[in-house]
Amino acid sequence: MYQKVALAIAFSPRMEALISETKRLVLLFGSDLILIHIGKKTDELEAKLEEIIFKTGLDKLKTELIWKEGKPVKMILEACKEQKADLLIAGALKREGLLTYYMGSVGRKIIRKAPCSVLTLIEPKVESTSFEKIVINGSQLDITPHVIKVGIDFSKQVKADQVHILNEIKMYGLQMGTACEDSEDEASQTRRQLVQDEVTYVEGILQKIDQGNLKTNIKVTGGRWAVELARFCEKIDADLLVVGDDYKLNFFDRIFPHDLEDLLSTLPCNLLIVKN
Amino acid sequence: METLDHKEVINLLLQLASILILARIFAELARKFKQPAVVGEIFAGIILGPTILGNFFPGAHEYLFGAHEMTNIAFDGFVQISVVLLLFIAGLEVELHIVWSQGKKPLYIAVASMVLPIMAGFVVAYAFPEFLGVNINDRIIASTFFGLAISITGLAIVARILMDLNLFKTSSGLLIIAGAMIVDVLGWLIFSVILSLSESSNDGLGVWPTIGLTFLFTLVMLTIGKGLINKVLPWINKKLAWPGGLLSLSLALCFLAASFTEFIGIHAMYGAFIIGVALGDSEYLTEKAKEILHQFINNIFAPIFFVSIGLKLDFISGFDPGIVGVVIIVGLLTKYYGAYFGGRLAGVPRKESIIAGFGMSTRGSMDIVLGLIGLENGLVTEPLFIGLVILAIIASMSAGPLIGWARNLKV
Repeated sequence: MYQKVALAIAFSPRMEALISETKRLVLLFGSDLILIHIGKKTDELEAKLEEIIFKTGLDKLKTELIWKEGKPVKMILEACKEQKADLLIAGALKREGLLTYYMGSVGRKIIRKAPCSVLTLIEPKVESTSFEKIVINGSQLDITPHVIKVGIDFSKQVKADQVHILNEIKMYGLQMGTACEDSEDEASQTRRQLVQDEVTYVEGILQKIDQGNLKTNIKVTGGRWAVELARFCEKIDADLLVVGDDYKLNFFDRIFPHDLEDLLSTLPCNLLIVKN
Repeated sequence: METLDHKEVINLLLQLASILILARIFAELARKFKQPAVVGEIFAGIILGPTILGNFFPGAHEYLFGAHEMTNIAFDGFVQISVVLLLFIAGLEVELHIVWSQGKKPLYIAVASMVLPIMAGFVVAYAFPEFLGVNINDRIIASTFFGLAISITGLAIVARILMDLNLFKTSSGLLIIAGAMIVDVLGWLIFSVILSLSESSNDGLGVWPTIGLTFLFTLVMLTIGKGLINKVLPWINKKLAWPGGLLSLSLALCFLAASFTEFIGIHAMYGAFIIGVALGDSEYLTEKAKEILHQFINNIFAPIFFVSIGLKLDFISGFDPGIVGVVIIVGLLTKYYGAYFGGRLAGVPRKESIIAGFGMSTRGSMDIVLGLIGLENGLVTEPLFIGLVILAIIASMSAGPLIGWARNLKV
């Protein structure tokens, strides 16, 4: 599924857990691993990394270490580009403080600017997270067919128990508000049609995908997809949320946040951002 | 506190009843012909007002709308509240995240679809102020106002048309919706500035402080204000009766914002509109709540406002074919071509740009409110306002068939 997986490491207390999580995924996907550290290469750090690699049992033949100096975000993204990584794994805190929200933490900056898909783990564990409940964004966007395909493939690989695809009815309030000019039957019909259209949209995409033995559930909501996704993930205590991103976010998006930015400000669970 | 006497109360209730009944009958007729309800409601006003009832049944008209001065003042209060609520709901319809998610294309379309009518409208009105009926003593402002009045898009009307044509969720549909949302925000922002520059508007804090406060109010409401709303709304939803608590407090917030902007010299409607935008953009205002607010305002207060236009004017004596002709031609052509060229400039395919051109030309809500404020502030005369109302009717009636036709074009 992914040929080259990159992991940004920072010798933080969570590093061992992040490497353990990554190791499991790399084994599942059969990918090569690139460990990227931004900072001065010292004997002490090298020895520490060797120790963790040994401890976590990483396959050294399929693991490449990259040390770079410079601005962390810029250098990590540069390394991903150079190495043609197709998935970057990073750790991130669940909630951003007000200052880091506007200034941007390293983790969030990477998510926003990465050239490849990004898997953000909010609570990496040494014994590895099981992705039992996976939620996929099925909201009608250009990138959605690709997101659903990646989400389903990922779910099959990690043998997820439940897969929920959440689709939103855009501007439900406005649409039903204007439908109030109609009779009761017509308004009810409009309401049913709005729901059915969204179900049909996701079903159309799913028909073209091999779902294996996955149990897939399509759910339709009204409202902003990012907010609804976050609420749903928290409600079912999801392990992973899969969403797409097809354009770069900037500072302006943080002043007037839109969907993805809303999601990044408070991560409801682990997040896989699929890029084209 | 002075109160209405027995006869005045009866009169007020009869006014409201006749307005709501006739508005409903004509809205239903409009629905039968697949036309927006607002068209029927404006016709209901023309029938109840001096144009038909006043001319053909002067006694009945006098009894309903001329016999009691106090009743008319009370009724005007209803109309004022209706307009404020209409602006509030117009603000709720603006969903900034939809605008952001559509990228630069709707911005190009919206700006171009406003710049061309504003420029053309300004030139025509400035060159022929007496013919067109703009205030010659406030020529620059009145001419700009005319341009702005013909540059507005009817968001709710175009949303309905797109739903009927099954285009709402398509790229063309979302482009038009996002474009119309931008037009609404820009239109009211420009209008507030114009009104504060107008000579007739000399209340409040003065021109430049008012302009500064307008921008500051907008920015604060859409950032800090929205943040506060996001903090309070979950509590309201959880702890208070639903939807009662939300409805009463959101309307209270709307009236507070409206009174604040009126106090600082911007029109009350701007406050209602911006608080609507801030509230509507909050993730905690559920779609169900929006639906309820829509139904409540669109079916009770919107008819009162749209019927009241016909009550104020005689559409026969005030009708000037020359003015109406100029307003319609300039209004329709510049709005269409503005949106079309804006689309092409942003790289939108030709067919989609044509659809956007017709979609953005839809009118019939905020443009009428804006025209009425212009009339009340002496910027335009009655014949020109009638021209704007007729433009709104023609534009909203023709948009559906034109978009439907453009959709099947092979270009």
